[in-house]
Amino acid sequence: MLAIKNLHAEINGTPIIKGMNLTINPGEIHAIMGPNGSGKSTLAKIIAGHPDYQVTEGSIEYEVNFKKINLLELQPEERAREGIFLAFQYPVEIPGVNTSVFLRAAFNAICRHQGAEEMDPIEFDEYLKSKMKFLDMDEKCLNRPVNVDFSGGEKKRNEILQMAVLNPRLAVLDETDSGLDIDSLRVVADGVNRLKRKDNAILVITHYQRLLNYIVPDFVHILIDGKIVRSEGKELALKVEEKGYDWLAQ
Amino acid sequence: MVTQTEKLNSLITDYFEKEQKLGAQLPEWMKELRQQGLSRFNELGIPTIKNEEWKYTNLSSLAERKFYIPEPQPFKELGELHEYLDPAEINVVFVNGDFHPKLSNLTDLPKGVSIVNLTTASAPGIQPFETHIREYQQKFSDPFAALNDAITHGGVLVKIDEKTVLKRLIHIVHVTCVPKENAILSPRTLIVLGKSAQAEVLETYMSCTPVGYFTNALTDIFLEENSVLRYTKAQNEGRQAYHIGTTRIFQKRDSLSENFSMTTGGMLTRNNLMIILENSGANTFLNGLYAVQGEQHVDNHTCVDHQAPNATSNQYYKGILNGNSHAVFNGKIFVKRIAQQTNSYQLNKNLLLGKGARVDTKPQLEIFADDVKCTHGATIGQLNEDELFYLETRGIHRELAVRMLCRGFVDDILNRISNPSVVAKLNKMLAPSFETFK
Repeated sequence: MLAIKNLHAEINGTPIIKGMNLTINPGEIHAIMGPNGSGKSTLAKIIAGHPDYQVTEGSIEYEVNFKKINLLELQPEERAREGIFLAFQYPVEIPGVNTSVFLRAAFNAICRHQGAEEMDPIEFDEYLKSKMKFLDMDEKCLNRPVNVDFSGGEKKRNEILQMAVLNPRLAVLDETDSGLDIDSLRVVADGVNRLKRKDNAILVITHYQRLLNYIVPDFVHILIDGKIVRSEGKELALKVEEKGYDWLAQ
Repeated sequence: MVTQTEKLNSLITDYFEKEQKLGAQLPEWMKELRQQGLSRFNELGIPTIKNEEWKYTNLSSLAERKFYIPEPQPFKELGELHEYLDPAEINVVFVNGDFHPKLSNLTDLPKGVSIVNLTTASAPGIQPFETHIREYQQKFSDPFAALNDAITHGGVLVKIDEKTVLKRLIHIVHVTCVPKENAILSPRTLIVLGKSAQAEVLETYMSCTPVGYFTNALTDIFLEENSVLRYTKAQNEGRQAYHIGTTRIFQKRDSLSENFSMTTGGMLTRNNLMIILENSGANTFLNGLYAVQGEQHVDNHTCVDHQAPNATSNQYYKGILNGNSHAVFNGKIFVKRIAQQTNSYQLNKNLLLGKGARVDTKPQLEIFADDVKCTHGATIGQLNEDELFYLETRGIHRELAVRMLCRGFVDDILNRISNPSVVAKLNKMLAPSFETFK
């Protein structure tokens, strides 16, 4: 589904990603762990198409409906329409833009592109409420501006709500667990697990092993200084939790 | 060289003579008003940018023109007008600056509401207000209010009697349909709310011919004790028009005015909004929005004169500037020594979309009392790239993302208008601007 080959990327001339390789197949959950500043969030932003990062070498190939696409040539909104979703580490507050209006605009933009039928406000409202139920979210959020005056937990739930509504093929969760208490973490993880299917994939970026007790990965990769230094099964996360990253940096 | 002030002076003098020959009947108070206005205008003249009040608004192109006063238009149905008028509302129509009762629907006014031509209104009903304004006017150098006085030959009086609560919106529509350019139009409105009366007024300015002309509008408002007025002005004239509009609101004890001023039209617009809080407990809100593009220039000058204690004023103006447009916001707040416990807030936020767009924003506080709360602030910025990126990662096209953010910016201020019919009308005028946002 996603093939990252020899990726090098920088911001304002400072190299962050330095030769990274990663392949994700449909139905898989991958976790990327690493110390602060190793390039985890940069990778998430590059996949989503953040304009501040320049890819200087390598490629990202995205395969959708048996068609291979050079992801780096697409605008952020085109990537989203092709089924890529980024749950932000720090969800952006957007004053003045109503949450439900925003969600419907996003949903319909993606439906239009993928040839599915768009929904009118009443239909969409029903659809939205069905998705909100299992995230234990207050419906009042929908009438508030996007993320404005949301608590930390509400913001993260709102990200997963968007994931549920937009139904992506590849979801990148950038430190979705940071700043969450254990109850919220369970709700969020449970929401993600419900969205898991055989034909989609999830890339979880995290600093802490705890999240991986709830979203169980097929593969764990350790990212240090812009490179993946080790890839193993889920047990690698426990080793890192116990021993830290230093032993991997050698 | 003949200055514009001299040109206008001879234009007005000729006009007076011609009118006399035609045997025009004007009430004495109005004749007097005109004479006073003319001499005051001659004294002040058309301001240049050397005048601090006009530093950022250059009238030199206006000063070069040769204006004429258009003949009163005979009654004519204006087809396109119906799009803007809702028969459920009280419509007061001006054409080329003159009040047209036949185009208005005033036959079925609720009890306690009267809307008449200023020339036919009884002098004792008007004189106290006019005298009051004249006294106040002496303190300020406002050449354009004086110019309106000098040219006026009518206008409208809207009177809401004591304790009358008017639910229907009064929509005053100023339409300009002049056959050739350089007309000067002087619409005039006097609104009086009696004790504990309540009303809502929308004043709209629009053009149906794309020629350059000059609207010099004047609206005076008196709010007696405990009355409430919601007043919205929408300037949506053609892109060749000059618009200088002065609104003065005199407020008595415990009265409330909620003002909104929107500018989308005009080549050069100057909105003077002056609120005089004469007694304690008077409150006012001044909200505004400007959405301009191309070479448009819009200048909002507000002035709140706190003359008495325990009064509050709250200002919030927002602007979106596209193309090479230029906006000016100058918010003046006077707090007299006696006006203790004044609360006065002012905020001006600007969003620059166009690379050549420019904003000059300036608070001007003159506070002589010591127990007051006054705050002011201004921001000038561009769209937030993080917000745009967030929307784009959800599949929303950049152009739509830009409009959504602009919509949010605009709704934040439009939401302060409680009447959905007014909001709908303003949104209709805003629509063409939104088309250009990307």
